[in-house]
Amino acid sequence: MAGPPLIRLAGICKSFGKVHANRDVSLTVAEGKILALLGENGAGKSTLMAILAGQIQPDSGDIFLREKKVQFTSTEKAIKAGIGMVYQHFKLVEAMTVAENVFLGQSGGWWLNWAKMHRQVVDLAEQYGMKINPAARIRDLSMGEKQQVEILKLLHRKSTVLIFDEPTAVLTPAEAENLFATMKLMVGKGKGIVFISHKLEEVMAIADTIAILRRGEVVAGMAAAEVTSTAELAECMVGREVLLQVDRLPLEPRQMVLKVTDLGDYGLRGVNLELRQGEIVGLVGVAGNGQKQLVEMVCGLRRPTGNSLRILGLEWARFFRSAGWDKALAYIPEDRQGLATCPGLSLIDNFLLTTRGGFVRGPWLLRQQAGIKALRLMQEFDIRPPDLGAFAWQLSGGNLQKMVLAREFYRKPRLIVAEQPTQGLDIAATEDVWKLLLEAREAAGILLVTGDLAEAIALADRIGVMYNGEMVDLFAVDDAEKVALIPQMMAGLASGEPSAV
Amino acid sequence: MTGEIVIALLAATVQSGTPILFATLGEIFTEKSGVLNLGVEGVMILGALAGFVVARQTGNPTLGFFAAGLVGSLATAIHGMVCLWFCGNQVVSGLALTILGTGLANYLGTTFIGTAAPGFTPFAVPLLSAIPVIGQIFFQHDPLVYVSYLIPPVMWLFFARTRFGLGLRAAGEYPAAATAAGLNVRAYRWLGIVGGGFFMGLGGAYLSLAYTHLWTSSLTAGRGWIAVALVIFAFWRPGRAVFGAYLFGGIMALQLRLQASGTQLPSSILLMLPYVLTVIVLVLSSWRKRTSDEPASLGVNIAPAD
Repeated sequence: MAGPPLIRLAGICKSFGKVHANRDVSLTVAEGKILALLGENGAGKSTLMAILAGQIQPDSGDIFLREKKVQFTSTEKAIKAGIGMVYQHFKLVEAMTVAENVFLGQSGGWWLNWAKMHRQVVDLAEQYGMKINPAARIRDLSMGEKQQVEILKLLHRKSTVLIFDEPTAVLTPAEAENLFATMKLMVGKGKGIVFISHKLEEVMAIADTIAILRRGEVVAGMAAAEVTSTAELAECMVGREVLLQVDRLPLEPRQMVLKVTDLGDYGLRGVNLELRQGEIVGLVGVAGNGQKQLVEMVCGLRRPTGNSLRILGLEWARFFRSAGWDKALAYIPEDRQGLATCPGLSLIDNFLLTTRGGFVRGPWLLRQQAGIKALRLMQEFDIRPPDLGAFAWQLSGGNLQKMVLAREFYRKPRLIVAEQPTQGLDIAATEDVWKLLLEAREAAGILLVTGDLAEAIALADRIGVMYNGEMVDLFAVDDAEKVALIPQMMAGLASGEPSAV
Repeated sequence: MTGEIVIALLAATVQSGTPILFATLGEIFTEKSGVLNLGVEGVMILGALAGFVVARQTGNPTLGFFAAGLVGSLATAIHGMVCLWFCGNQVVSGLALTILGTGLANYLGTTFIGTAAPGFTPFAVPLLSAIPVIGQIFFQHDPLVYVSYLIPPVMWLFFARTRFGLGLRAAGEYPAAATAAGLNVRAYRWLGIVGGGFFMGLGGAYLSLAYTHLWTSSLTAGRGWIAVALVIFAFWRPGRAVFGAYLFGGIMALQLRLQASGTQLPSSILLMLPYVLTVIVLVLSSWRKRTSDEPASLGVNIAPAD
């Protein structure tokens, strides 16, 4: 790798109003290397990458392409210069085929020869260890396959620098492994990669060099080989010792809030579960093993047959017919922007979406009273900006999630179902959310569905592992032997005793 | 005897379906780029007037035909400015264009009411017109009908097999993806709007230069609206638009003949038939929504910063 670096950023500064998104950032992307960019939400990673992709212009600072100064005044220019971006939200036309997406925006003649193009796509995919049907429609593909199409688009354009914005957030572990293999092949062919991620283990595993951004500045840069533990990285990121260990004092379990006996609908197989006020049951497993179906039945989105699901002592149907069930049940969905909130409504309207108790008189909403209450909650939960008129889409993921929690907990629910509550949040926000969940269990039983084992271990009193629609095992979190077996259980390799603890 | 009547009716079907076909193809072209244009009716009638006036002044109907297309493009450029520059509401802008177009054309055309212009006359295609039945139905028309035969396959080729067609469809499906791929979405939408407007103008000119050779007020009589509905019936596919246009052409030709034959049915009921069919067609096609090629971002403006 003797040649000049593919891309060198020198002293990049960018401000939005008073906020310095990037301050004097200098980075180098070398040929055949993977540079990992770490940082909390709002640390300036996205701004920096948008500058590199030509979407926005820096206030000052220079970009050098193989030591030649360049200016990316448009995305087209950056693309032409060989900068390619794999966005977190795929930029694919769902109704079109794989090949159509790959060739979209490519220069060339008037006419398109599909047979030849399909062949080219297959060849290119094989070179990088991918298998894809070029005639398949994007809407029929899995997330991992869609991401492959995004990568193919860039490879076909002969991009030399590929930027991956949190690429594993949407992938299953197996798909992530494939992605890493593809990335290795790409750097093997001399491409440079920028890998943005929250997941420290991944960064350690794949990166050659690591740069850590905090408040718009590069606070640390190191070779991955020098890093001894993920804790070191995490510390750099937040600038303080991260206590990803929260204090959890066990409470005395009280009234039963959820009882599932031998539930077998929608692909589930004989699931048993009991949840009492004062405890958190963590439900772990690879996504797609029945967690979603269970959650949707508990939350009333799907109707279970028979009498196998009881909430607060009532049969499912009777519970959802009873007055005030909506006060007793709180659902914190995975999809914060879609299911939990309306992005285009103000915070106060979003607050009133599920919480109207005390804020209605006849047909009228008492917005003023709700506003006062909501503002108090926002201070209490440290939601920023503390502006009731702000729209939900203006909030960062962490703040939006805290707003959802504030809203749901305000009703003092008895049963809380939290689905991936900290997915995509930075460490500080994760910690806040964890503390809030632990506090909420005083008055409620919490069913915590999470893909993050550390989260389940940190929060849950008991852990249930789901595989293929079955509850493989359900055990107390202190049971170190069982906890150690969780990865095998998730993979369907070990079956604990099917027990109803 | 009855065979001849049926053949004559089918030939009339092709003729009365042609202006609707032009307009429907124009609207498909526009909507494929992601822009809804409800101004078809107004653009058509402006095209009809422009074609008529130019043909009358120059004595050259071909010139009039192309002038109509050009005026169609110019008229839809208003819609383009509202939607692409000012990010205005596409539905409102389209409705305004219809009101503006019909009002303006009827006003400017007042002095021409009842006058005639040189138009296109039937021209039998050698060999093809000699085919029994088929030849009589399809190949004994004015040249504009033959032009209309060529547009659907050409438009299909453009969408499916050219780089620009792919870009235009991407602009209508997912503008953000097109932008990320380095395409100029705004330019493609201009192409969709102005190109579609050209065909709508041609559809109008067919009415004044081939169908009637006369100018009367409200010449288009709702055909533009039928075209808007037909786009949905056609699932946004140029090929299916042909069936839709001839279906409506058929019912229009039929009701004229029924009126002429002195049937007992009140003429207002007969006049209503095409519009009843519109409603039926829309209901039927909404049942099979999944097979439709409706552009995902139809009617959604692109943000000014894109």
